Amino acid sequence: MTPSPEIRPPTDTELIERWKAGDTRAATQLVGRHSQALARFAASSGEREGIEELVQDTFVRAFASLDSFRGESSLRTWLFTIERRLMLDRRRAERRSRETVPDEESDHVSEYGALDSLIAEEAQERVRRSLEALSPTQRDVFTLRVQQGLSYKEIAEILGTTEGAARVHYHNAIQTVKEFLRDE
Amino acid sequence: MNKCMELDLQEMLPDLLHRTLDSAARARVEAHVAECASCTEELKVLRTVASAAVFAPTIDVDRIVGHIAPYRPIAPVVQAPARSRVVSWLVAASMLVVIAGGGSLLMVQQRQPGARVAPTAVASHQVSTSSQSVAVKPPVTSVPVTRTLDQPIHTLALAPGVDGLSDGDLRQLMNDMDSFDALPTVEPEPVLSVDTGDNLDQGL
Repeated sequence: MTPSPEIRPPTDTELIERWKAGDTRAATQLVGRHSQALARFAASSGEREGIEELVQDTFVRAFASLDSFRGESSLRTWLFTIERRLMLDRRRAERRSRETVPDEESDHVSEYGALDSLIAEEAQERVRRSLEALSPTQRDVFTLRVQQGLSYKEIAEILGTTEGAARVHYHNAIQTVKEFLRDE
Repeated sequence: MNKCMELDLQEMLPDLLHRTLDSAARARVEAHVAECASCTEELKVLRTVASAAVFAPTIDVDRIVGHIAPYRPIAPVVQAPARSRVVSWLVAASMLVVIAGGGSLLMVQQRQPGARVAPTAVASHQVSTSSQSVAVKPPVTSVPVTRTLDQPIHTLALAPGVDGLSDGDLRQLMNDMDSFDALPTVEPEPVLSVDTGDNLDQGL
């Protein structure tokens, strides 16, 4: 009796090829594989609302331009790059609308409270506040490294910076978070 | 708390957390963490931060897939074959050579007196051919000059390069010079001084 061949899950590249060939289930697999990581990254980066829309926009854009994905990085890294650009666009747009309509500040506070109610445990609340003490770049580097487990090379690619700069940001971020949690 | 001195191992703590290290590296990092209080604390912080990420909303995969448009390959853009950079440079260089060459040729021609002499030469030609209208001059017996402007004109030796003239041309040149009426045919009259009487007072 010959042993059955080991069944391995298809790689991202294989799924992309299948989707291009018309297999919509491949798209479902790809979205299922990466959507939660994208949502976590968005939440860790300070997005408070519309995370699902953000993830959806990321996938829509990514699938629309899959021909430009050369496979030099992993698909997830590429998706993070797209998502981060979308987040930056959103923040710019929010900043502009806040400048023109200052009354929206009260809505912002209420959304903040909604998130607060979501975080039940005290330790996690402290972590959230410690992350808020970081600069946006430090926060992105830190969450990509700690929560997503990406390498400095991948982080540098997503942020459009160097590995050395990513290391420095991570080092400063971990010091800040440690001090914040120690003082609390 | 003492700082960790093994920075390369400390840097691998997130990789240890995500189990992305190979077995050898993992054993090294774990052994180090067991001895290092700083790394033990940092690993605890990392675990806390990593576990705090579970609060992202659950994503509806089918809804997202429903928004994804079916694949449409990007049609390759057909472009006219672009002229290569080498060809462009060659064209530019040859244009430059043509312009520079033409310019320097013009300058050389302007500097050569022979070129400016052309009208004079033509005039002299006219003189020699119309010499019959001048009564004082005998008919020219030399070879009639029937040159066009594009031919080199050696009728007058105003241009340098007499050495280049043939014997026939030199003879022609001498004949032409003989026939010039530029020199006066009579001696000038002597000039007599006129006493205006201005010196009379001095003599008195």
